[in-house]
Amino acid sequence: MRLRGLAFGWRQDGEFATELESHVTMHTEDGIRAGLSPEEARRQALLRLGGAELTRQAYRERRTLPWLENLLRDVRYALRGFRRNPVFTITAIATLALGIGATTAVFSVVDRILFRSLPYAHDDRLVSVGLVQSLEKQEFTLGGFFYEWRDNQKPFSSMTFERGVSACNLTEANPVHLQCARMAQTFLPTFGISPELGRNFLPEEDLPNSPKVALISDGLWMGRFNRDPNVLNKTIDLDDHPVRIVGVLPKDFEMPRLQPTDIVLPAAMDVAAQHTVNSGIGFPMWAFARLKPGVSIAEAKAEMAPLYRHTQQWIPAEFRKEFLLQIRSIRDRQMQDAYTAAWVLLGAVLAVLLISCANVASLFSARGAARARELAVRSALGASRGRLIRQTLTEALVLSVAGAAAGCLLSEGLLRVFIAIAPTGIPFLATARLDLRIVLFTVLLSLFCASLCGIVPALERPRATALVARSTNSGTHVRLRRVLVAAQIAISVVLLSSGILLVKSFRNLEQQNLGMQTRNVITVQVPLNAARYQTGQAFMDFYHRAEASLRRLPGVTAVGMSDSVPPDTNSWHGGMRYADIFVAGKPRTPAGTGGTVISRLVTPDYFRALQIPIVEGRSFAEEDRNASGDFMVVSKQLAERLFPRGDAIGQHIQFGNYNPYFVLAGPVFTVVGIAANVKNAGLAGEDEPEFYELRSNHHPESWNGHCIILIETALPVSVVAPWVRSQIAQIDPTAPVEIETLTQTVNRLADRPRFETALLGFFALCGLLMAVIGLYGVIAFVAAQRTQEIGVRMALGATRMDILRLIAGEGVRLIVLGGAIGLGAALAAAQLLKSLLFHVGTHDPGSFIAVTLLLVVVALAATLIPARAAMETDPMQALRTE
Amino acid sequence: MAEKTDVWQGTMMLMVLRTLEAMGPQHGYGLARRIEQTSGDLLQLNYGTLYPALLKLEQEGYIRSRWGVSENNRRAKFYELTKAGQRRVRKAAAEWEQATEILARFLAPAHEA
Repeated sequence: MRLRGLAFGWRQDGEFATELESHVTMHTEDGIRAGLSPEEARRQALLRLGGAELTRQAYRERRTLPWLENLLRDVRYALRGFRRNPVFTITAIATLALGIGATTAVFSVVDRILFRSLPYAHDDRLVSVGLVQSLEKQEFTLGGFFYEWRDNQKPFSSMTFERGVSACNLTEANPVHLQCARMAQTFLPTFGISPELGRNFLPEEDLPNSPKVALISDGLWMGRFNRDPNVLNKTIDLDDHPVRIVGVLPKDFEMPRLQPTDIVLPAAMDVAAQHTVNSGIGFPMWAFARLKPGVSIAEAKAEMAPLYRHTQQWIPAEFRKEFLLQIRSIRDRQMQDAYTAAWVLLGAVLAVLLISCANVASLFSARGAARARELAVRSALGASRGRLIRQTLTEALVLSVAGAAAGCLLSEGLLRVFIAIAPTGIPFLATARLDLRIVLFTVLLSLFCASLCGIVPALERPRATALVARSTNSGTHVRLRRVLVAAQIAISVVLLSSGILLVKSFRNLEQQNLGMQTRNVITVQVPLNAARYQTGQAFMDFYHRAEASLRRLPGVTAVGMSDSVPPDTNSWHGGMRYADIFVAGKPRTPAGTGGTVISRLVTPDYFRALQIPIVEGRSFAEEDRNASGDFMVVSKQLAERLFPRGDAIGQHIQFGNYNPYFVLAGPVFTVVGIAANVKNAGLAGEDEPEFYELRSNHHPESWNGHCIILIETALPVSVVAPWVRSQIAQIDPTAPVEIETLTQTVNRLADRPRFETALLGFFALCGLLMAVIGLYGVIAFVAAQRTQEIGVRMALGATRMDILRLIAGEGVRLIVLGGAIGLGAALAAAQLLKSLLFHVGTHDPGSFIAVTLLLVVVALAATLIPARAAMETDPMQALRTE
Repeated sequence: MAEKTDVWQGTMMLMVLRTLEAMGPQHGYGLARRIEQTSGDLLQLNYGTLYPALLKLEQEGYIRSRWGVSENNRRAKFYELTKAGQRRVRKAAAEWEQATEILARFLAPAHEA
């Protein structure tokens, strides 16, 4: 009812006036009838009413909620003001929207990386424990070490391990390809995970040769068993072995190394055998532990050091020194290189938020200055201080709400774009959602900026001078805005220079010479079912048949095979130690690993398909595959190191083996050629020395599922792919075929830097745009304030150039000041980017000169537009307006 | 609901409702005069407070208003009881009677003593 009173207030006010009028008239008539003069009668009537205005007031307050009405009036007033000043409004809303939108979107992404809580009980107490060395920087451990550590350690309340995740197949009706993890019985309790249904393994189920049991993931339970609670004790066929389900993992379960997992099996380790298997060091595993209360990671590391030194005896003496003990939090282990990118992104977006807040503050401050006179008038007419402040706050609130609404839309859109363009390597990005807390935070922050700067003019005692002064005296506002604009310019220089460094680095990355062709190469991978191919011979037969049939395809010029393809670092084969290479007739290289050497198992056509030139000697020949010897091609880099005298061809090479004592074993390779260097340690990595072993037919044991077929063809992949599929299907109809161009594979390696570059570039441009708007605003404002002064100056003989210099000088000072501070800060900030840069120095002069030039040009433009307008001022007009 | 603490408002409301019940539709001025007459001119209403009270009653749904023409051919707003108003006046009258009766009992012995 009262709300309706608000809506129709104006009409009811009129109605009540009529009612009162009729009351007074009737009363007056009665008075006249009683013998009073008409004037006296009316006076009496009004007196008895107790004052018409008071009555009206009482009536109105009865009718409505006065504060709400005031608020609505303020909102209406604010909206009216905004409509009169659309540039201010649009700028403010756009600035706010960009600030709020970008911050929210980015924060929603990095929140999961930097701040999210892991799905483990007291996740801050969990650590990853293991060995690191130059070949493997992600800590791992070995059975021979783990059990000694576990039995003798003090800093942990419990220690556990997992043995990695590998492919497995559900070999019953509707076979599916799944991922099976193997873990210790203590794994779930250590991580504080309790199964959603059923139970963890029993200790006796985690022994070798015990009956097989498994826990299944929530996803598998849902997808395959439709959440049937009777799934417990059900027996499934896993790679043709019966396995009994004893439990279901919780929905949010994840492996600490984030591998996707469908089924968890007990590791069933033979503890006693760990000092005999795998050269006496035990099977590889990944260990995790829960710190005892009050023990820090550093303390744990110190306490584990003697124990580690004791177990070092299992490492061959030659490279004992190269292994180090590593203990770090699970979060660090999971996020490693995503950290830097996340912080850089967060930093960039906070810079944008700062700029946008400065912009809003500056806008409101300008508005406040321009309205000093209006405020003085209102205050003189009896508006209370509280009333004026409330009015200003209302304006800030209205703008913030509008900006926030636009910002939320923007952030939702940005987040979708992020997810769409993001590489797969950034953890959790695909599941990132808008975080409402962040929306709220940014809205409050911008509201704070706006109201703080809006309120300052309202707080100042409205000076009587503001009423009479011809031009408003607003020195403080201009000074504040100058500081803000200089700060904006400085921040945007930092953003821009970081952006340009990353763009440059990305261009270097994309345009570098890989040492091989990627354009006309298609890679084919066939993940064969290990259950059907049980011997190396079976694999070899399959791939030989595939090679032969693919060679018959029209338009195919070469078909090579390899176990891995550069430039990826993560070839499954990994590397070997330089120190393990022995050249016949030469002394052993000194102890120590001497760094990594990459090895690849290839067929002769590998070099043809990738067009890797042979710089000396010859390539492998087809006949070599059936010849009795073993052949090798070394990369130029390796040849220069192994054979500095340039006599590589014809030398014999053998590999050292530790079993557990050093022996020279295995085939003797004859070096037949030297291949040019190929980018082989990731796009950004330093090239490693490399050698190629020929995949010869008398070593069927060297064949397994790790084989990539490389097809060189000028035909598009869309044409060739169906042919390839049908050829493979003729050999094994059940084999899945994965086809991709090598360009795609290589591009995927650049996804991460592309993503980082695109985002930082975007923020840098946003920042620059807003800083320029701020600069333009302040100069235009100053010019408008000084219109009269300009008129006087021109009347006294100042030329138009003098005026231009006067106004533009203002802008130039700000640009120089902000730019200088910004450059200094940018040089410092570039150090933080160091790990993200490729072949670009952190003080790359070209980039910084480009930033400076860009800034000067854009900022000067923003200055000159209002300055030119001031120059065009007609002095007569300027003087007359006052 | 009527505010029980606000005696003046409460009694004023009762007077308005009772007068409207007795006289039928009435405009504000007529209502005020009638209340004064009924009180034997012992009560001098502040007319200024009458209209907010009428508005409150209207908002609470006890009376409704419409524009009409007065006995002197003046345009005036006429108030009349609604169904809810009739119920309310009956209930309020009963309550009032009870209250005065109670008060009377408290006051009576003092007279006799």
